[in-house]
Amino acid sequence: MALAPDVRPSPVQRYRIRTGMLAWVFHRLSGLALVGYLVIHVWGLKAITNREAYNALITSYHGPLFKVGEFLLLCAVVYHALNGLRIVLIDFVGWSPNQKRLFWTLGAVAVVLIGVGGYPSIASLVDHFAR
Amino acid sequence: MASAKYGRTARSSAFQWFAHRITGTFLIFLLITHFWVQHYDRVTRSISHDVVTAEQAEEGVLPRYTPEAGAAVEAFRARERQAPVQGGPPAVTVQATPDGGAPRTPEAATTSVTPYDVLMLRLGDPVYAVLWKGFNLLFLLFALHHGFYGLNNILTDYIRNDMLRVGATALSWTLALVLFVIGAYSVIVAGL
Repeated sequence: MALAPDVRPSPVQRYRIRTGMLAWVFHRLSGLALVGYLVIHVWGLKAITNREAYNALITSYHGPLFKVGEFLLLCAVVYHALNGLRIVLIDFVGWSPNQKRLFWTLGAVAVVLIGVGGYPSIASLVDHFAR
Repeated sequence: MASAKYGRTARSSAFQWFAHRITGTFLIFLLITHFWVQHYDRVTRSISHDVVTAEQAEEGVLPRYTPEAGAAVEAFRARERQAPVQGGPPAVTVQATPDGGAPRTPEAATTSVTPYDVLMLRLGDPVYAVLWKGFNLLFLLFALHHGFYGLNNILTDYIRNDMLRVGATALSWTLALVLFVIGAYSVIVAGL
């Protein structure tokens, strides 16, 4: 397809925003966030060899900000897992004609999983602040 | 050829691509198990219903666990007393009773059980430990490979300079290896 005469290539890559592209961008961003979290988490879990250090680590995981972070982490994991599953289905089972419908169906599944899975974090926060 | 322009790192890595999908699929099941055990199950979860602020933590407040977790820890210690494991945690009797008065949260909670005691239900038990340490090692390996392969896809997409790209790849895989060694050592040693 020819470019319109006034369109110049930008030094920054330009992406066409459509469902699939949006899914891809969020997959990368959530993936980066999860790798960052993984590094911190594995490093922190050195504490499992020591009773006091582990108790302190797990207690810090109960902070109000951590409960919010836990919920956001769940959102990132659920999105990344379900979109990843969609990619696997497209690659291995050949579901590409259905990929857009699949994206929105898995979106509905994601909302349910985030609601059920996120309930403990949110309920803790509600009880904490309602006291 | 276009690939020659970007050097050897642009070579085909079909196996890695395949492995990325396999580890990704496995991680879904590993994560469901992890989430159930650590955040949902009333006996084994490390993250309880309590919120503990930084000030409370400094005063030595620990998150409280459910009576079910308290009973499981008590049963675990009773078994330990019958067949003491060398170098295991000291056999101390703990009353797994909910604290007196109105509970702070709707969930009746036990104060005598610490996070480490709950962890030891899995990693301190001679039978379960083998299963859970195996699970954790597989989880660690798959998560690190999946995460760092994905990270390298992004690095090779955006870093155009050959030297920088090879350097970033080497650095990130070195970090992954260091994390694997630290993580595997911690998991194996925990509870011994």
